[in-house]
Amino acid sequence: MKPRSDYELSWWRRLVRFVDGETLADVERRAEELRETNAQNQQMVDKEAEHVFEQEVKEDREDRKRRLEIEHEKEAKALLEKYKNWPKEHGVRIFGRLYAVMAVVLCVAIIATLLVTVSYLPEFGSPDNPNNNEVVEKYNAEGLYDTGATNNVAGMILDYRAFDTLGESHVLFVAAVCVMILLRLELTKDGKPTDKKRAAEENDRLYEPKNDKILQLSAKILVPIIIMYGIYVILNGHLSPGGGFSGGAIIGAGLILYVNAFGFKEATKIMNRKNYAVISVVPLLFYAVAKSYSFFTGANHIESIIPKGTPGAIISSGLILPLNICVGIVVACTMYHFYTLFRKGGM
Amino acid sequence: MEWLRFCVVALFLVASLGTAVISVAGVFKFKFILNRMHAAAIIDSFALLLAMIGIAVAYGISFATVKVILILLLIWVASPVSGHLIARLEVTTDKHLAEECEVRD
Repeated sequence: MKPRSDYELSWWRRLVRFVDGETLADVERRAEELRETNAQNQQMVDKEAEHVFEQEVKEDREDRKRRLEIEHEKEAKALLEKYKNWPKEHGVRIFGRLYAVMAVVLCVAIIATLLVTVSYLPEFGSPDNPNNNEVVEKYNAEGLYDTGATNNVAGMILDYRAFDTLGESHVLFVAAVCVMILLRLELTKDGKPTDKKRAAEENDRLYEPKNDKILQLSAKILVPIIIMYGIYVILNGHLSPGGGFSGGAIIGAGLILYVNAFGFKEATKIMNRKNYAVISVVPLLFYAVAKSYSFFTGANHIESIIPKGTPGAIISSGLILPLNICVGIVVACTMYHFYTLFRKGGM
Repeated sequence: MEWLRFCVVALFLVASLGTAVISVAGVFKFKFILNRMHAAAIIDSFALLLAMIGIAVAYGISFATVKVILILLLIWVASPVSGHLIARLEVTTDKHLAEECEVRD
């Protein structure tokens, strides 16, 4: 146990010393000395304490400063986080509300526009309507004489309004080309499929039943019949309901059945990209050239050299039959190639 | 004779319609794909046969009847093949096939 610093000065200690044999004066002197040293010690302790205190204050100030800085940083970070998360938390909600409001506004605007437009239309069934004009009578009365086609619809879309059908065929061709740009996977230079293409094919047709014997047998029976029926529909387009678009669709369906049964390897022997380019571009060019000739002669009142033939025969009605064949080829190719491109196999 | 032919045609068409209704009910009643396929195939085979017989009787012996028979043949060839492909795909992809039906290797 350590005695207190003023233990030597205590009355008890002095008494003990006196009893031990020291004189009173001695005792007093010692006490004096002790007091002095104690005072000196005290001063030193005080100074040290002061120093420590100053340092503490200093440290405290720096500490507070640092703490403030950290707090500022934290606040800044929280603010940044808030701004970063703003689009996620509030932005999406605001955008969603705005989207709903704008959708309603847009719908109402479109409906209002259409209703206003409809209100300007002539009354239904009124005899003064502009559709009761000489055009219908002309088509009905002189369609057979003008075009040579017993199917008036074919006469209309491939003779009177052939320019429109030319545009439709081109739309199909352009659509097929665009899909090809987006979806076609390249072959390597030696004609073998790249890894990407092979992976896409396998991923796409992993579980598909391949080389199914039953499907192949039925396709062997059905495909020729379907394609022949499509050719029949195309060739009879000017005599009976049908024509290039419907017949082409039937032929395209037959080709798709063939691909499904025998795989792309067999099918691309005939329908590859080079053949597709030739098969689609040649009919379109022929269509454009033939119709240009017929428009040119018609506009200049020159007698066309294309004979109309006897109505009802297969080879008759001038340009309608070849144009039907052109449209049919383009439609069949487009259908088939859409299918193969979306299956990631062919081309 | 005309009313007798009408009666026969109506009988066949109504029978076809009834078969189709049974088939549709089966498609919605059964739970598993293979059972549903069986129910759905009734339309393709039997209901179609009855309807086509009715139409053939209505037209009598003519070119339209031949066309009707051709349609029937085409669908009778195409429908089982497509059913077979669907069933095969189902068997390859279904992980819980054993729960649905008895599987023999």
